[in-house]
Amino acid sequence: MRIGSLQLQDFRNLAEVSMEPSPRLTVLLGANGQGKTNLLEAVYLLTTLRPLRATRLAELVRFGQPRAAVGATVRRGTIERRLSVEVVPGQRTAQLDGKPIDRLDDYLDGLAAVCFSPDDLQLVKGGPDGRRRFLDRAAFNRWPAVLNESREYVRALRERNAALRAGGGEVERSFRGPLIRAGARLLRRRRDIVGELGPRLTAAFTEISGPGAPSPRLLYRPSGGLSLAGAEEELAGRLAELLEARLHRDLDRGYSTAGPHMDDLLLGIGERAARTYGSQGQQRAFALALRIAEVENLRAVQQEAPLLLLDDVSSELDPEKNGYLLDYVGALPAQAFLTSTDRRLIEPLAGPETRFFGVAGGVISTLDS
Amino acid sequence: MVADPIARLVRELARLPGIGEKTAQRLAFHVLEAGPEQARELAEAVVAVVRDVRCCSSCQTLTERDPCPICTDPGRDPKIICVVEGVPDLLAVERTREFRGRYHVLHGALSPLDGVGPSDLKIKELLLRLERSPTEEVLVATNPNVEGEATALYLQRLLKPLGIRVTRIAQGVPMGGDLEYADQATLARAVAGRREL
Repeated sequence: MRIGSLQLQDFRNLAEVSMEPSPRLTVLLGANGQGKTNLLEAVYLLTTLRPLRATRLAELVRFGQPRAAVGATVRRGTIERRLSVEVVPGQRTAQLDGKPIDRLDDYLDGLAAVCFSPDDLQLVKGGPDGRRRFLDRAAFNRWPAVLNESREYVRALRERNAALRAGGGEVERSFRGPLIRAGARLLRRRRDIVGELGPRLTAAFTEISGPGAPSPRLLYRPSGGLSLAGAEEELAGRLAELLEARLHRDLDRGYSTAGPHMDDLLLGIGERAARTYGSQGQQRAFALALRIAEVENLRAVQQEAPLLLLDDVSSELDPEKNGYLLDYVGALPAQAFLTSTDRRLIEPLAGPETRFFGVAGGVISTLDS
Repeated sequence: MVADPIARLVRELARLPGIGEKTAQRLAFHVLEAGPEQARELAEAVVAVVRDVRCCSSCQTLTERDPCPICTDPGRDPKIICVVEGVPDLLAVERTREFRGRYHVLHGALSPLDGVGPSDLKIKELLLRLERSPTEEVLVATNPNVEGEATALYLQRLLKPLGIRVTRIAQGVPMGGDLEYADQATLARAVAGRREL
């Protein structure tokens, strides 16, 4: 996929943007707080229909304005279509070729975006929710149906939790059905994406860390000691038993204490946990390798690299890893958007098709290449 | 600036679901151009619908005559009841002309999040009906979403002990459609709900 032209309106601090990004590397330069990341956020929303960070939709709308909009012409294969997303507080609507979409699949078909950000280190150092989000987004890039599936799970979970707080009974039991069905699906998706990412993570980590480095490990750890083996129906059966066994605890606490929303993804280096035993350098290499693993996996299954978004990565990585990442991006036949505060860091990467833009006070302007 | 009566009509029309400011304006001018006769008919129809329509005491559908024409139709099989969430769902099933039993409208689906419990739905009325007239089968046609599914399970657990056969509408790929064009969630469900040939 290639974004041809891009327009934004009242998206965070960007009042009005109209730009032609490069088919390869687009560089956004500017001091902090000027709106560089906001542009990446807009592109991410347009291509995945999800906000980049764990934000509420209302925050995407420029202060004092009723709505935010992002639109672009996107070429997939030989077909060019117009995608647009409009956000009003609490709601986003997507349009394909100017018409509201019936099915998300039509819109999302062939789209995928992976964002590298300084926050990626939190995948290793932070709590399990960030790692669950990473897995779900990787699964969603891989299988667009995951968007609806995970929504359905969240909906069923919230309904069941409300039923637990209301005292349980037959209503709670009735909501376990959809919760288990959606939960088993989500577990299978996560198990499958972990299986795909594992070998690619090892390859990327070894390449970043050099030969002789201990190998990284990815282990999905379900809550309540659930076994992930077998078909989806078997997963559903075990999830049902787990919910039944924990009913009293769940009623006491007023929420579901087990299920995919409580699971974790363990990251190991050699035999040890990356989070506690890894060196700073290893942790950074791990986070970077996770993202690259996702990109490589998508490249392999979709025969095309996803759209890459790189948010000020140089600020977090040491010069060696930064150089590695920039070389990687430069060599990849992909469209990429990259933000930086320092043009000199990016200059070595610039090719004939690279386009530079300046971002200042919410205004984006073309710079000489 | 438009005259106040027009603005008032536009405002009222725009309160209807699916009608924005522009459509409301278009409709208002259309009413104006169509003349007093048509306007009176429209106004009377609006007033009459609120005045004359009530819930059928048996199936709870919206009707002018109580019991409703479906409940009193002798050609209908009283031994099977199709349970739906709302009247539009009843009309949808009715349009198929496949179903010759009777209906029961719940007027909603279970949702603890929105504070909708069993007593907010017409479930008590359903039980009363089943008690009064012998019923062999209840076909649950609630929506295939989280709330509709939970409501179906709730009814199943409630009705099974009464010795009534409880069935659920099949979910899957629409007929006449290409698999290629079925959305992934529907297709996945159709695969999960596969049957022997």
